[in-house]
Amino acid sequence: MTNQTVIKVGTGATGFWGKLKVALARRTEGRGVALFIVIASFVTVSQPLVFTAYQVTLGRIALIGLVALGLTAVILMGELDLSVASTLAVSGVIMTTVANQTNIAIGILAALAASVVISLVNAYFVAIVGLNSFIATLGMLFALRGLALVLSDEQPVKLENTDFGIAFGQPLVGPLTPRILIFFAVFIAIQVFVSRVKAGREFLAVGGNRQAAYDAGIPVKRRIFTGFIISGGVAALAGVVNSLERTAADPTAGSTVLLASFAAAIIGGNYLKGGKGSIVGTLIGAASLGMLQVALTISGVQVPVQEIFIGGVLLLAVLTDPSSLRAVWGSISTTFQGIKNSLAK
Amino acid sequence: MAKETLTEAIAVAKAPEDTVAKKSSSFVAWIADKGIFVFTAILILASMTFVDGFASLQNVTDLFHRAAPIGIVALGMTFVVITGNYLDLSVVAQAAAAGVILIAVSNAYNLITAFIVAFIVAIIFGLVNGIAVGYFKANAVIVTLSTTYIGLGLLRLLSGGSQVFGPFDGPIATFGTSKLGPFPYSAVVLVVVTLILTFVLSKTNFGFMVRSFGVNERSTRLAGTNTGVIVIGAFLVTSMAAMIGGFVLAAFSNTAVSNMATGYDFQALAAIIVGGTSVFGGKGSVPRTLLGVVFVSILSNVLVLSQISYGWQQIAIGSLIVFAVTVDALGRRVGKK
Repeated sequence: MTNQTVIKVGTGATGFWGKLKVALARRTEGRGVALFIVIASFVTVSQPLVFTAYQVTLGRIALIGLVALGLTAVILMGELDLSVASTLAVSGVIMTTVANQTNIAIGILAALAASVVISLVNAYFVAIVGLNSFIATLGMLFALRGLALVLSDEQPVKLENTDFGIAFGQPLVGPLTPRILIFFAVFIAIQVFVSRVKAGREFLAVGGNRQAAYDAGIPVKRRIFTGFIISGGVAALAGVVNSLERTAADPTAGSTVLLASFAAAIIGGNYLKGGKGSIVGTLIGAASLGMLQVALTISGVQVPVQEIFIGGVLLLAVLTDPSSLRAVWGSISTTFQGIKNSLAK
Repeated sequence: MAKETLTEAIAVAKAPEDTVAKKSSSFVAWIADKGIFVFTAILILASMTFVDGFASLQNVTDLFHRAAPIGIVALGMTFVVITGNYLDLSVVAQAAAAGVILIAVSNAYNLITAFIVAFIVAIIFGLVNGIAVGYFKANAVIVTLSTTYIGLGLLRLLSGGSQVFGPFDGPIATFGTSKLGPFPYSAVVLVVVTLILTFVLSKTNFGFMVRSFGVNERSTRLAGTNTGVIVIGAFLVTSMAAMIGGFVLAAFSNTAVSNMATGYDFQALAAIIVGGTSVFGGKGSVPRTLLGVVFVSILSNVLVLSQISYGWQQIAIGSLIVFAVTVDALGRRVGKK
């Protein structure tokens, strides 16, 4: 499709404002920032508690955003990974089961190793067999959910080392819990990888025009494997963090996470067809959603109303996408042209 | 991706002729095209021989009761899949809304009012999804995801999230338990919906446009079709089917609750894919989806009868989806050579 992030460097980049304009034109987070500002100002006026109790808000943002960060790596390449929800459940179950028999460190390693295997299977079907990633990972979503149930005997698995789990939920550095620290560490790692490392920058090329990327000598298949390993690994990390904090692994976990992390990535301006988007955008999306959720919860709004709000925000984000607006403007102007033509006759 | 889908779609459109020409040489392509018929026949025969209690009248009735609601939803969703828009996730909210409205409103007012309210709700769902996907060209997965959120949220808010029960001697309960010969009424509805939708998809102008849109969106638009209307139509068909599926589901147990259709989105898609409808759009038919529904229902029925745990059933269905799409992809690759 038409690539709208045409790099205009050198054509209109004169002076500070020109450069700024060019820099802004290449960003995709515009709508995310706008939404963030709207929600933030709304929250500041009505529920300042969201900012005073910032540990809670940050915890919620980390909960929503962790999986979304990994997912973004795949979305940048124009692929989807639905299986993250089940990867999260499977890795939690594996981590607690192994940790109960040995210790937590080996449990975490086992969970991450499992996620790499899962990601390799996903990427094999997408890159080598050539399946649509949406459908291939849909199959994995089912299969892995089944695997989590089989491994856990359809029961939540309790973590026996509860002391560690309880300690894990406590603030580690200042007021920040390990979950929040892990979230920001993952954010920085993926952001640096995607924007500063060659392999990561090539993700955008693979997403923008796969054939051109291939012709330019980018190892497209290897990049797809890397992307799926990132999204699977981060999902496994989220599963481990969840299970440690709750001192139990829920084999049915993950379905709400899937929806929330998609919402965060979309609101952050990531382009589902690939080639455009950023990790920062996903962070902004997760922050907007997290603030909204905490504010609604503090205000005592019922859960269904919160769902309506999140759905509404997501729908709004999709409909105000520049390409959506252009499409609908095209339809309207065609219709008016048609009316004008028929009137002229 | 859009460009890929376009080329994929053209490749899909070409595939049938190629497969016919090279039928003898390409076994995989043949399996991809006709395999579902063979596999369903083998599955039925094997189940009848090896699984105790499969062929009993009680089990067959039970099978129909389970297959009918999800089957009706899948039949309608075939339209959205054929237009190349992946799926309609919001059928979960739509079917649940129809079920809850049917029982709650008919308790409070009467059956006719309930039908009218459910119909209006279904139209609203179809229009919102259809306009967002057809005119705003938004991604169908995300749009229907958000309408699922909104729909289920509204439903829980209005119904209080609790289960609603119909009177046990009311018309809904009677419909849910009655049979026509060995077939429960729900199975009859399933067959009627199949016949109607098959006619719509293969004989009407609208059905032709839906298939044409799935094969090549651009050329359909350039041929002077208002493509937005086609997409809205496909989503409306899905909404109507989801509504009927919700009715049947609610009538079966004579109760309804907001989460009763959980999992219908992906289960319906699984049946559609297994039936051989391509997720790239353009290729597929309503009877194929019926066959897919029959296959998946019999498979899970056999797994339940063999006392295999729910976890293993999920693994089986997941592997089945991957297998079906792999065969589809390989078949297309063979067809292209």
